[in-house]
Amino acid sequence: MRLGFIGLALTGLTLTGLGLTSLVLAGPARAADMPIFDAHLHYSHDAWNVVPPAEAVKILRQAGLRKAMVSSSDDEGTQKLHALAPDLVLPVLRPYRKRSDISTWMRDDSVIDYLQQRLARYRYVGIGEFHIYGADADLPVVRRMVQLAKQYKLYLHLHGDAEAVQRVLVQDQQARILWAHSGFDQPDKVSAMLDKHPALWADLAFRNDQASVDAAGKGKVAPAWRDVFMRHADRFLVGTDTFAPERWYYVIEHAKYSRAWLADLPSDVADKIGWQNGERLFAKMLEAD
Amino acid sequence: MKRLLLLLLCLLVQPAWAIDFSADERALIESFGPWPPPMQPDPSNRVSGRAEAIAFGRALFFEQRLGGDGKQSCADCHLPAKAWSDGKPGTGGLLRNTPSLLDIRWNRWFGWDGAQDTLWAQSLRPLLDPVEMNSSLAAIAGLLRKDATLACGYRQAFGTAPEADDERVAVNAAKALAAFQETLISAPTPFDGFRTAMAANQPVPAEFSAEAQRGLKLFVGEGQCAVCHFGPGFTNREFHDIGIPYAVRPGLVDPGRHLGIRRLRDSHYTLLGPFSDDPARSTGTETRHVDLLHRNWGEFRVPSLRNLAHTAPYMHNGSLATLRDAVRHYSELNEERLHADGEKLLRPLNLSDTQIDALVAFLLSLSAALPDFPEAEPVCRVKP
Repeated sequence: MRLGFIGLALTGLTLTGLGLTSLVLAGPARAADMPIFDAHLHYSHDAWNVVPPAEAVKILRQAGLRKAMVSSSDDEGTQKLHALAPDLVLPVLRPYRKRSDISTWMRDDSVIDYLQQRLARYRYVGIGEFHIYGADADLPVVRRMVQLAKQYKLYLHLHGDAEAVQRVLVQDQQARILWAHSGFDQPDKVSAMLDKHPALWADLAFRNDQASVDAAGKGKVAPAWRDVFMRHADRFLVGTDTFAPERWYYVIEHAKYSRAWLADLPSDVADKIGWQNGERLFAKMLEAD
Repeated sequence: MKRLLLLLLCLLVQPAWAIDFSADERALIESFGPWPPPMQPDPSNRVSGRAEAIAFGRALFFEQRLGGDGKQSCADCHLPAKAWSDGKPGTGGLLRNTPSLLDIRWNRWFGWDGAQDTLWAQSLRPLLDPVEMNSSLAAIAGLLRKDATLACGYRQAFGTAPEADDERVAVNAAKALAAFQETLISAPTPFDGFRTAMAANQPVPAEFSAEAQRGLKLFVGEGQCAVCHFGPGFTNREFHDIGIPYAVRPGLVDPGRHLGIRRLRDSHYTLLGPFSDDPARSTGTETRHVDLLHRNWGEFRVPSLRNLAHTAPYMHNGSLATLRDAVRHYSELNEERLHADGEKLLRPLNLSDTQIDALVAFLLSLSAALPDFPEAEPVCRVKP
C-alpha cells in the first residue's frame, strides 16, 4: 500500500511534468501546471549516494522545474548536476567544503582561496547559501567574499538576520542579495527590508507561515503575507531546501505545494513568485558572456 | 538540644542519594509519574474497556485466519515475549521497526508516522495493508460471520451478530482489537520506585543504582532529553527529525510524518470520520487542525522510553541495535543532517563513556520484567 501510494504520486507528477512544455508554449500556464523556479537546492557530498546525479536531475524534471539554483558542500555536487543538466541547473557557489563548515567558515581564511579557485574554473549565478548573523557579517572573510561577488557580478544567497543583510549592503551598496528563507522574519519586517533595499530579494524556502494547503490541495495565503506579496511581487522566489539527502524526494511534493498556495494569488503575481522572478534575475546570467 | 536531636534524626533518615538534584530537577522527575496514569475509555470506541470486547479482541489478536493467506495473526509480529514487538530492524514496504504495543493506549498518534489517530484505526490498517496482513474488509467480515466461535465473540462484544455491512464488521473487529491492546500496560519500574521514594523523602531503593541516578541527572539536565521525553510515558507524543537517515533503498525514502498526515487526511477511519463512536468528536481537535509542514518530511514519532530493555532494535527503522548505540547517536549527532533553523535543540552531547554508561543505566531502569502471558479461555464455548 505504501509503495503503491508513493509510486502513484511519482507517476502522476511525471505526467504533469511531461505536460508542462506544451502548456507553457500554448500561453499563460494554469496554476496547477505552473513551472517552478526553485531557488534553494543543495546537493552536498552525502546526497550523491542516496540520490545519484541522474536520479536528482530526473526528480527536478518530474517536479516540473523550469530552473533550479543548486549549491553544495563541496562544490562538486553542483558541478555534477550542472554537467548533466546545463539547461536546468544554475550553479551557486557555496563557501563550504563540507556542510559542517556552516558555523566556522566565516573565520576560515582558506575559504577565500577555495572560492577564488572555483570562480576561476566554473561559472555561477551566485555565492551561497551561506549562514551569517549580526556583526559576524563584517568579519574579514565575509568582507572578502562580498568583494568577490562584486568582482564576478554574482548574487549573494544569504541565510541570516536582517542585521547581517544590512551590514553586507553597507560593504557594497550595489550588492544583490537573495535572502534565504526571508530571514525567517515576520512579514512586516520582510516587507520593510524590501522597501528599504531595492537590490534585495527573498526566498520562501522551509517556511509554512505564508500559506496553508488543505487536504483537497487548495491553498490559502495568510492575510499578513498577501499584502506583502502584492506589494513586492517582483521580489519573492520559492525554494525547497534539500538540506538532507532524503529531502530530494520532497522536491516534487514541494513544487505541488508551491503551485497550490500560489494559486490563491492573482495569476500575474503567482507567476512572478513561482518562476518569472527567478527567470528574470538568474536564468540569463550564464548566457551573458 | 531538641533542635540538635531533630537535625540528627533528619540526617539519619536522609536518603542515600548518589548525587543532588535541584528543586527544579526534582519537580521534573516528579512529573515522570505516577505510573500507570489514570485510564479513561476511548470515547471514539464504544467497546473500549468492556470485558467482552477485550476478550474478543484478544482472541482476534491471535487469530491466524485474519491474515489474507489465512496463516498470519497480529501476534506474529507483536510477540508477547518481546514486549509485543518482534525484535527485527524493519518490516513492511518502508522497512519500519515493529513498535511495542505496551502502553499504546496513551499514544496520541499511532504508527511511526501518526497516520492514525485512534488505536482502532491503527488496528485495522495492517489487516488491510497488502505488504502486511493483506486481508480485506469482506474477508474479515466473512470470517466473523462464518466462524461460530468468532461470531459468538462478536455478539458478546457488540450485542448483535456480525452485520451484513462488511466495513462495519471489520471496523468493529478493529475496535475489539483496540480494546484488548488497551489492556497491555507495563508494570512499575525501578525508576518508578525511586520517584515514589524521592517524593516521600525516603531512602533510594536498591534497584535504582547510583549509576542510574547519574544518568537521570544527565537526562533532566545537560542532555535535555526531557524536553521531548517527558511525562509518565517519557514522550511528547509528537514527531521530530533527530538525524536518523530515512532512505529505505535507492529511489525510495520514508517521508515519515509528512506521509502520515497525508494518509490521515485521506482516511475516513479517524476521530472525525463516520466510524467514530463519539458524536461530540471530543478528542478530535488535533486531527481537525493538523497542518502539513515542510519540517514533517522525515519526522517520526517520539516513542515512549518505557520498556526499552525489551524493545531493541531502536529508531523508526530499527537501525540502532543497542541502547548504547541510541545514546551514542545523540552524543555524536550529525548536525549536517539537521536544518539550521529546524531542530534547534539538537546538538551533539559529546558524552564520555562514563556518561553514556550512566544514561544507559537510567534508561534500563525504565523497564520492568515482562509478565507471563497465559493462554486465555476460549472467547465462547460453542457446541459443534
